Amino acid sequence: MSETLTGSQQEVFELVKSKVVEVLVDLDPGEVTPERSLVELGANSLDRVEVALLSMEALELRIPPSELAGLANLGELARILNRHRDAR
Amino acid sequence: MQGARVVVTGLGTVNALAHEAAGFAAALRAGACGLRTVEAREGEPGGRRVMAPIREFSWQDDLQRHRERLPEPVARARRVLRNAGESVRLSVAAAFQAIGSAGLLPAAAGSERVGILVAGSNLQQRDTWENTRRQAAGRAINPRYGLAFLDSGQVGCLGEIFALRGLGYSVGGASASGSLAIFQAWHWLRSGLLDACLVVGANSDLSPLELEAFELLGALGGAGWEDRPEQACRPFDRRHGGFLWGQGSGALLLERQEAAAARGAPLLGEILGAAVAMDGNHLPDSSAEGELRAMRGALAAAGLGPEAVDYVNAHATSTPLGDETECAALRSLFGARAGAVRVNATKGLTGHCLSAAGVVETVACLLQLEGGFLHPNRNLVEPIDPLLGFVGARAEPASPRVMLKNGFGFGGFNSSLLLAPAAA
Repeated sequence: MSETLTGSQQEVFELVKSKVVEVLVDLDPGEVTPERSLVELGANSLDRVEVALLSMEALELRIPPSELAGLANLGELARILNRHRDAR
Repeated sequence: MQGARVVVTGLGTVNALAHEAAGFAAALRAGACGLRTVEAREGEPGGRRVMAPIREFSWQDDLQRHRERLPEPVARARRVLRNAGESVRLSVAAAFQAIGSAGLLPAAAGSERVGILVAGSNLQQRDTWENTRRQAAGRAINPRYGLAFLDSGQVGCLGEIFALRGLGYSVGGASASGSLAIFQAWHWLRSGLLDACLVVGANSDLSPLELEAFELLGALGGAGWEDRPEQACRPFDRRHGGFLWGQGSGALLLERQEAAAARGAPLLGEILGAAVAMDGNHLPDSSAEGELRAMRGALAAAGLGPEAVDYVNAHATSTPLGDETECAALRSLFGARAGAVRVNATKGLTGHCLSAAGVVETVACLLQLEGGFLHPNRNLVEPIDPLLGFVGARAEPASPRVMLKNGFGFGGFNSSLLLAPAAA
């Protein structure tokens, strides 16, 4: 699946990326791309929840955690967050 | 009971007077005061309050001090503590000092022979308060709260950061928690279960709820002293009016003497004996009989009589009933010798560090031992007991051979430790 993001998805991805870098303190920001998953980047289960919560808080969204479980990569996370933002 | 001898090889503390041991030693000698009048945070109840806050402490900057000596623990600490509460950050800061000064790592990394005890219960009350408010406001709570609200989570944090895999748990006994943890570690080491044990007295991070509750109990002092906070904490003085909360954490590394000597560790002192005695009482009321049993128990464990003791670091919270009870217990213990035993109260300088008090004040004992002095009693103008040998308003030179450290807690906890210079 292509990881090309639309403009607004890209905007959400940049926000998610900033949260990933905040949570995974020693990570090189260049490694955070839409194709990568949080697990690949070294996040534990709590780190993953935290990235999702921090991103939702910044976007003023409340999405049930179950909807964000099992996502393949950060691009998918950005798409779902963006969809909820549009639906608001 | 006979067993292995137990020594202290490392120590550390962060409190209102200093962020490390050398600064704490200098502050003790000077009789410095950590008490300030602090405003309630915006939007929070409580008003102005006298307490001894930790000032200008940055956990990230503090970690940098240990980067050269302990690079891997520092890297792990940066990750583990990033979104952690204040209490565990202060525990880790004190533990870095103790483990660093003892030279335990990297040789002991991964060891199943080094344990961890965290002293205190209900340590993260401010986190609970803040997350409760977030939840009530419809905001996301801290995703780490499910782990962080467990006091025992601090054991896991310390174990991960320092790669220690021996026995570990948290120990609760109100303000006696620190002494209880030292008592427990002493038993583990004497019985040979461990070679070393990190004992951390954790900062009790109170919220406005606990402060109001202590006020309702009539235990908290400071009202009326807001304009002269440095005079508010007055252990053993006729104008004492309740305890003043002091923020602080402390850490000790205890080792079997044999293991410590074998690796050439610094020997800061020996724990000769320790005892715990319960009153069978759920109230904050202290009992001279229970305190006496704890002190006699520690002496019996060391095979010593009261005549061996030349210095007491009192529990002395500046609470009228507590101070009077401890005076009565000390007079009973020492009898005609009462005036010859020197007594001081560290809480007059640091405030009451609650869960951490027993560890912070044991650190104070060992620093006094090393420096050859006894710190002043602050604000002791009119002693409630004319017979006891209180240190005055200036530090005095001293080389105590046996130190008695008391630690008592609400709910009938009495504990005593006996400390001495470590034999070379």
